[in-house]
Amino acid sequence: MWNLQEYRFATNPAEAVALMRKGPGKGAYIAGGTDLLLEHPDCDFVVDVNNAGIGDIARTPGGDLFLGAAATLQGIVDDPLVGGFAGGAVGLAAARCGNRPVRTTATVGGNLCNALPSADMAPVLMALDATCYIADEDCRESLPLTDFFVGPRRTVLEDRLLVGVALPGECAGWRCLAHKLTRTAEDISLVQVCVALDLADGRIGEVRIALGAVSAVPMRATLAESMLTGQEVAAVTPDLVRDVAGIAAGECGPLDDHRASAEYRREMTAVLTRRLVTGILGDDRGNGEGDAA
Amino acid sequence: MKISFHLNGQPTDWEVAPGRTLLQALRGSGAHSVKMGCETGDCGSCTVLLDGQPVNSCVVAAARVAGHRVTTMEGLLDDDLMIRLQTELVEQGAVQCGYCIPGMLISLYALMKKGPPIGEQEIRHALTGNLCRCTGYVKPVAAARAVATVLEVSP
Repeated sequence: MWNLQEYRFATNPAEAVALMRKGPGKGAYIAGGTDLLLEHPDCDFVVDVNNAGIGDIARTPGGDLFLGAAATLQGIVDDPLVGGFAGGAVGLAAARCGNRPVRTTATVGGNLCNALPSADMAPVLMALDATCYIADEDCRESLPLTDFFVGPRRTVLEDRLLVGVALPGECAGWRCLAHKLTRTAEDISLVQVCVALDLADGRIGEVRIALGAVSAVPMRATLAESMLTGQEVAAVTPDLVRDVAGIAAGECGPLDDHRASAEYRREMTAVLTRRLVTGILGDDRGNGEGDAA
Repeated sequence: MKISFHLNGQPTDWEVAPGRTLLQALRGSGAHSVKMGCETGDCGSCTVLLDGQPVNSCVVAAARVAGHRVTTMEGLLDDDLMIRLQTELVEQGAVQCGYCIPGMLISLYALMKKGPPIGEQEIRHALTGNLCRCTGYVKPVAAARAVATVLEVSP
């Protein structure tokens, strides 16, 4: 059994941070607990943030989609606001996390704060330009999700609390496709790729290609992105897409482990990037290239 | 630490260790329908309802249920919908060793509570957290489909 001395409840973010700093000993925030109760990290107390008022999902007056850190993954799957944003890509990603009873309690904040290279929610949120909101006892900070992860299982948080992430309203109309490559449906991902394109009047505006499980932290393939930015859709040839995919694969730094070799991960990064870009553009041209390998 | 919550509809006070899981605490209190399987949130044999939603009680902290509603099979034995599900599983031959069945019933019960129409895909999604190593899933899904069909005619 987990040798925990104390279980504390916070009713708001500032109180949660204060309870974390109060000591004595080491503490951890707990929401769904589906990771902590497996890993039994070495700590003396936990601070429960399920009742800290950070579980809401909302569209702001400006059109941003806000996901509270303690929003459950199943809550995200079922939420109509999420379903209406960027083709429902965030909900589809949440639906691929764990199994149904795990998603009932597991939260988006927990998935991000656990900071695994394979964090299931990171690529789609990164591809839709997520901003993280972080609470301290008497102030708040925001920063891009791309700056949130500092290494495997390490974030910028230290003893502060992630209160949620916001996706800018401009991304609501972006076309977004993601693929999570696993051996079985519930397994930890081998490679994740998420592509988001801002398409208007036959042109590609903004481009986001986010990768998971192929580097120390979830990342964007910015060189590959820049090759597509501003292109006429009609001018994007299969060769260009192949090059973009190859560059994306070159930008990541996968590791060998018992799940897959680095070589395989890199190759699949290229394959999936190519398929997803082609899928979005193929749809846009209405010629069904989406299935092309 | 002391927690107060509703277990199977009854106001309940527990004295639990902070690091105890809901599964350990439930079995310690006599709710033996809740099975201890993988204890890693994979197999679903410990599935219970937390505020009506299925959870793996092995990866839920017991302390966390303070102020919430927890439902196990013990609390649903006289429930008409649960009896329909149990009966149909038996009639379809979906039960072999039986270890996964309480968890499967809880998952199906949570799904059926939403009301018809309930299609096969929804049933399969609802059972993604329940592993059966005996009969497989064809018969449990068939049983759930039969109940879903009946619910459409006589809710």
